[in-house]
Amino acid sequence: MWPYLFSLPFVAAYAAFQLYPVIYSFVLSLHDWNGIGAKTYIGFKNYVQLWSHDPLFVKSLWNTLIMMAMFIPVTLILGLLLAYWTFHLVRGKKLIQTINVLPYITTPVAIGFIFSYLFDWQTGLVNLLLVKFGWVQEGVYWLQNPWSSRAVIALMVIWRNLGYFMIIYMAGMTVIPQDVYEAAKVDGSSGFHTFRKITMPLLRNISVFLVVTSVINGLQLFDEPKLLYGGWSGSVQVGGPDNTALTMIWRFVDVSFISDTRFGYASAIAYSLFLLIVVFSMLSYRLTAPKEDQR
Amino acid sequence: MKTLVWICLIVISLLSLFPFYIMIVMSTHVTEDLFKGIPILPGDYLGENLHTVLRSDFLRVYGNSLTVSIAAVALAVLTSTLVGYAVAKFEFRGRKWLQLFVILTMMVPTQVGLIGYIIEMRHLGVGNTLWPVILVWAAFPFGGFFMIQFIRDSIPTDLLECARIDGCSEPGIFARIVLPIIKPGLATLATLVFLWSWNNYLLPLVTINKANWYTLPVFISNLGIVHRTDYAARMAALTMSTVPVLILFILGSRTFMKGLTAGAVKG
Repeated sequence: MWPYLFSLPFVAAYAAFQLYPVIYSFVLSLHDWNGIGAKTYIGFKNYVQLWSHDPLFVKSLWNTLIMMAMFIPVTLILGLLLAYWTFHLVRGKKLIQTINVLPYITTPVAIGFIFSYLFDWQTGLVNLLLVKFGWVQEGVYWLQNPWSSRAVIALMVIWRNLGYFMIIYMAGMTVIPQDVYEAAKVDGSSGFHTFRKITMPLLRNISVFLVVTSVINGLQLFDEPKLLYGGWSGSVQVGGPDNTALTMIWRFVDVSFISDTRFGYASAIAYSLFLLIVVFSMLSYRLTAPKEDQR
Repeated sequence: MKTLVWICLIVISLLSLFPFYIMIVMSTHVTEDLFKGIPILPGDYLGENLHTVLRSDFLRVYGNSLTVSIAAVALAVLTSTLVGYAVAKFEFRGRKWLQLFVILTMMVPTQVGLIGYIIEMRHLGVGNTLWPVILVWAAFPFGGFFMIQFIRDSIPTDLLECARIDGCSEPGIFARIVLPIIKPGLATLATLVFLWSWNNYLLPLVTINKANWYTLPVFISNLGIVHRTDYAARMAALTMSTVPVLILFILGSRTFMKGLTAGAVKG
């Protein structure tokens, strides 16, 4: 009796506040509904519309993938390097770790504000410095250009996650037995060679974990682009210049709560995103996991 | 080589700190001075800026955020610990299924059910309050998973058997034996839930549109509309909402790091 009683709160709360909404959203995605009037059952029409007649949705998917392609490799490589260097420090290990995790702890809202200030065309610090040192004649339109705006968003994500990647890698490094390194040293391996031949392969599982989770989180990118464009300048423009910063969740939120209340259609976006997350996380697992682990 | 590594580490660490520094420095200036030059050194206008921020609803919003995070921590830790204990230390029909259930729930992103959740909350009559932002934490899949692992690893089953033989009741065992032993796990989970609920932006953004229920992230993202021109005051508000969390983190960084790495290294 007791184990059932102990599990009950969790199971009941999950059923009530997460499972039920997930199922209800699926039902909604098969309807045309604006949140107030009557629901009309339309089968899978929302999905058809979404995938074949909604250029903005396709563009938002594309944008999200481009930004992920920018930040995932950089965070991964830099995070590993940073972890490797810090791990072999004699002093200051803890300090470097703590400092670099601070961005990860910070509210994305603050990050959005600070970055939209830093890269503001007129008042932003980056342009002020560039002009002052004479590297450019006139400020760069960081947030008005499709590629630089995506790059700034990627930079925000990198800045925020680098420390997290670093401590995850460091946690993985503590698990590697030290005698492996001793043996390598005896065999005449050192420095970069040891890093490439021993450290990296042994951290494979950690890398797989990081890639898969950042693919999952990356597909749900929202806070950074939304706040970059709604922060400093206080604008309510959706999607950045020509929608190049529009991500899938942003599109979803916009369709359902900001510009419109097309709940049925938005639910179809949410479910398509869910599907994409499943597909991409499996794909990224397949691509990164060691061969013998693949089933 | 060693010096080069140190230089790299110092540069990266400085880059990590730089935006915080700029934020704090900007909140110590008069707004007009921010645009005269490049603000690098702190000014002496911090008091005034803080005063401006406190004149707005900042304190109430702070209170809202604290309410949400404390309630979220209490709920999430309670339900996660109970289910974790049941799965880790009892033999019963459906135990395997329950464990699989917890793992599967971890894989469903909350956004998928977002619209359904909001409609549900409206039907329950708590649509535009703090409840939706709190209740979403009532069943926290990662928490359940974490607690299953933690309780399995840290509590010897013999100990529980002994207590049972001595006639201790099941709730008594849970409260007086299990809870004291898993205190470090509770602390780790609590800090994580606190952090995540404190920083949550999407959910309060779409559920709350009444200013007196705003939480910090939503309030700050709307500051642009309130103090359109007072950039320094906005930075002061940002400073006030981030710095306490950062200090809390630095004080408890050991627990925090353990929590952050908990999911990864176990696999």
